Amino acid sequence: MSKKVQSLILGLMCFILTIGVFVQVKTVNNNGTTISTNQNEAQLRDQVLKMKEKYENSYDKLQKAQKELEKVRTGVTSNNEELKELEKKIKEANMLLGMTDVKGEGVTITVEDGVATSKTLSKVDLIVHNVDILNIVNELKNSGAEAIEVNNQRIVGTTSIVCDGNVITVNGEKISSPFTITAIGMPELMTTLDRAGGYLELLREDNLKATLTKSKKINIQKYTGIMAFKYAKTIS
Amino acid sequence: MIFIAIMVGCILGALVGINLPIVPYTYSSYLAIAIVAALDSVFGGITGVLKGEFDFKVFISGFFCNAILSILLTYLGNKLDIDIYLAAIVVFVGRMFINLTIIRKYYIDKWSNKIQEWKDKRKQLRND
Repeated sequence: MSKKVQSLILGLMCFILTIGVFVQVKTVNNNGTTISTNQNEAQLRDQVLKMKEKYENSYDKLQKAQKELEKVRTGVTSNNEELKELEKKIKEANMLLGMTDVKGEGVTITVEDGVATSKTLSKVDLIVHNVDILNIVNELKNSGAEAIEVNNQRIVGTTSIVCDGNVITVNGEKISSPFTITAIGMPELMTTLDRAGGYLELLREDNLKATLTKSKKINIQKYTGIMAFKYAKTIS
Repeated sequence: MIFIAIMVGCILGALVGINLPIVPYTYSSYLAIAIVAALDSVFGGITGVLKGEFDFKVFISGFFCNAILSILLTYLGNKLDIDIYLAAIVVFVGRMFINLTIIRKYYIDKWSNKIQEWKDKRKQLRND
């Protein structure tokens, strides 16, 4: 083979090669990112973290503003009887909505995923499902609980308890086993949840861990989300 | 001669490449590995020419086989979530360096021979 043909073939090869290089460079530049998807993922994670930080900062600010509002309100209402009455009403309404921290006597229920043994037929039976939490909350309400909390998520009128894959979403926040459900109310009534044939025993029969303890002092935090009415209007 | 052809090919390729549309982002990783395969082939080709054992069939088939295998590896790696294409890149780039060494040695030998000849000639002239 003559040198001419060899050079021609190599030249052609280089021609194709440079076309490829230029097209590739253009593509990568156009997308603004490198080919590695891992890097993309890391960037997204970074963004999530930044967003969370921003949210926390904003929440702190909100907390401060609310405290200031409280101060101003008490300052204004302290020397006016009528306003004092209104202030009291606001506090009561907030308590009903679950917007205030409350304390009192009640019960603490812990429910935990079971451990697989040789007798276990299906692992699905060993998991605490959203329905279990829902039923416990329902029974607590039935026995007169005044404030309920699941893993630091206050149960309010708008709360949903949803299955979200391997975790449970309460108030839009993901929570996972072990679940601690605290409730304020009459302890004697609420301990009936632990009765023979009660829901906790049903759970224990399924090899889940479920315990109930009475407690004199229970603190329940306020609901931290937003409650707003967009569609509902009052009828007067 | 070879290098002039390569230069002309590169310039023409650059001119055409600038005016071509971009490829979809999903395929850009396949194109990247094909580029590395082509680069390896070019180095292999130059080495072959210098050694005088350049074969058109071996060259072309080598390029296509390498490119297709590396693209398949990339695809498999995507499916398995493992960066297998790195293995192809390591092989290609490693071979490129080996070929570059051969090319370098060839030209060093050639030029040092020439310099030696030139020196010998001068010596002869002086002696005469």
